Amino acid sequence: MHIPDNFLSTPVWVALDAICIPAVGIMVRRAGREMEDTRVPLMGVMGAFVFAAQMINFPVGLGTSGHLVGGALLACTLGVAPAALVMTAIIAIQAFVFQDGGVLALGANVFNMAIAGVLAAYLPLVGQASRPVQDRPGGLSHKAIFAAAFLSVLVSASLALSELLISGIAMPKPVLLLSMGLFVISALIEGAITVSVVGAIEKLNPGFVQKADASNSRTLVILSAAAVVLGVAGFVLASSAPDGIQRLALQLGLTTKSSFHGPFADYAVGYFDSPWLRRATAGLAGLLVIYGICAAVSKLIARQRSA
Amino acid sequence: MHHVLVDRWSRGASPLHALDPRVKILSLLVFLIVLATTAANAAVPLTIDAALLVAGILIAGLPPGTLLFRAMAVLPFSLTFGLISWLAGDSLRAVGLIEKSYLSSVAVLLVVSTTSLPRLLSGLESLGTPRLLVLVAQFLYRYLFVISEQAQHMRLAAASRQGIPGAHRRSRFRAAAGALAVLFAHSYYRAEGINRAMLARGFSGKFPLLKPLRLRTADGLFLLATVAFLVLVRVQ
Repeated sequence: MHIPDNFLSTPVWVALDAICIPAVGIMVRRAGREMEDTRVPLMGVMGAFVFAAQMINFPVGLGTSGHLVGGALLACTLGVAPAALVMTAIIAIQAFVFQDGGVLALGANVFNMAIAGVLAAYLPLVGQASRPVQDRPGGLSHKAIFAAAFLSVLVSASLALSELLISGIAMPKPVLLLSMGLFVISALIEGAITVSVVGAIEKLNPGFVQKADASNSRTLVILSAAAVVLGVAGFVLASSAPDGIQRLALQLGLTTKSSFHGPFADYAVGYFDSPWLRRATAGLAGLLVIYGICAAVSKLIARQRSA
Repeated sequence: MHHVLVDRWSRGASPLHALDPRVKILSLLVFLIVLATTAANAAVPLTIDAALLVAGILIAGLPPGTLLFRAMAVLPFSLTFGLISWLAGDSLRAVGLIEKSYLSSVAVLLVVSTTSLPRLLSGLESLGTPRLLVLVAQFLYRYLFVISEQAQHMRLAAASRQGIPGAHRRSRFRAAAGALAVLFAHSYYRAEGINRAMLARGFSGKFPLLKPLRLRTADGLFLLATVAFLVLVRVQ
């Protein structure tokens, strides 16, 4: 599910990078508020744990094995915002150190897996603490954990697929249906793995599993619902009409097949005649905007920290 | 292991290693953007971009064969999508996906092989990445090796204990879950220990670099030259 560079069209990766910067900024601020400074090592070590956990194979039948993805597990144990922060760090390390996922596509990958994926896991966990299950007081029900892990993987995968389709990568219907089937299966596997691992963790020490309501906030619930809706919509749109997304993208002028129609095209048009200069300028302008937002957000956080 | 090799490469001494990480990050971004906007059938610019990367590898004193081979990690994914695009009748995109994603991967690998991760991360921080995210990534990278090794040991131990392959899938599944739970608990307690040790040593909330980041004239010239060259190649 890690999208490499040059798979997404310029408007798509620019837009997702631009969305990601404030989104990560908000998550970082929330995580900083929820976890005291003393828990920074915990978030880092938990990231290393999720990395290492992928080495443990789970037999799932037919001679194949699956492994943990981890978004929902982190949401159950650290809380939503710290989980999103840890997943962002994991994806960044994967992109830079392991060349797993692109650098320009970092925004897309972070959005799919760390922001939308983790937020989607939050929805089933909300309200769990308010109605404690009889046999596990204070804990989370297995159904909720399963749903969280299932939604987390499904939403990430369906967003990645939609982004590729919007970028104009043509997929024959059988290939598309096959990959969607595989997504559902891997989401089911993630659900099963997360339920049994969280169960085992709870048995070791019930204190490890956090009540989702510790970070209860209406904004997070709304964002979580939005992530689920976005993921499911992408899934339905892709399955019902394989070229539906593409047609939609063409109507919005998002594909680069013809020419660049991004938000900066009009700005650049008067200055340059050569189409590539226009595109490169638009790309650079996008980057500058991203940089500006990034610097502003980090300054804002720094000010709130010191205040 | 792969990351251990990159980690060792990044401690070399060459003009590329000596450059400021911020300069390398910005040059990488310009390179990637130029590459992303180059047409897949523009043979001359793509060849020059590739030659630039090879020159970089040679200047950095890295083994070209090994590095170019490592960058092939991206190929299974791009070959799959290349095949799909080719089957769908979009052969230009198929070629573009494979060659451009490979070149991007080489470029990223070249930068991380000439910049140690702490320097890369502090470069990213001074370019505006939130401090907390950088800190978490630093801890993650530091303990990645430690926890991975522990997982490796547990996997070996489990493999030597479960004799009959294929038997009792359900119980093997549960055993794997138990192993992960134990790994989780170990990591959790380790983090608490790390935290206490760091507080005892007076951690200020930021990792100091051995050599603080400092922009020299050479850094500015490198950035200017790279950007000018890349843009020039792209215009032609």
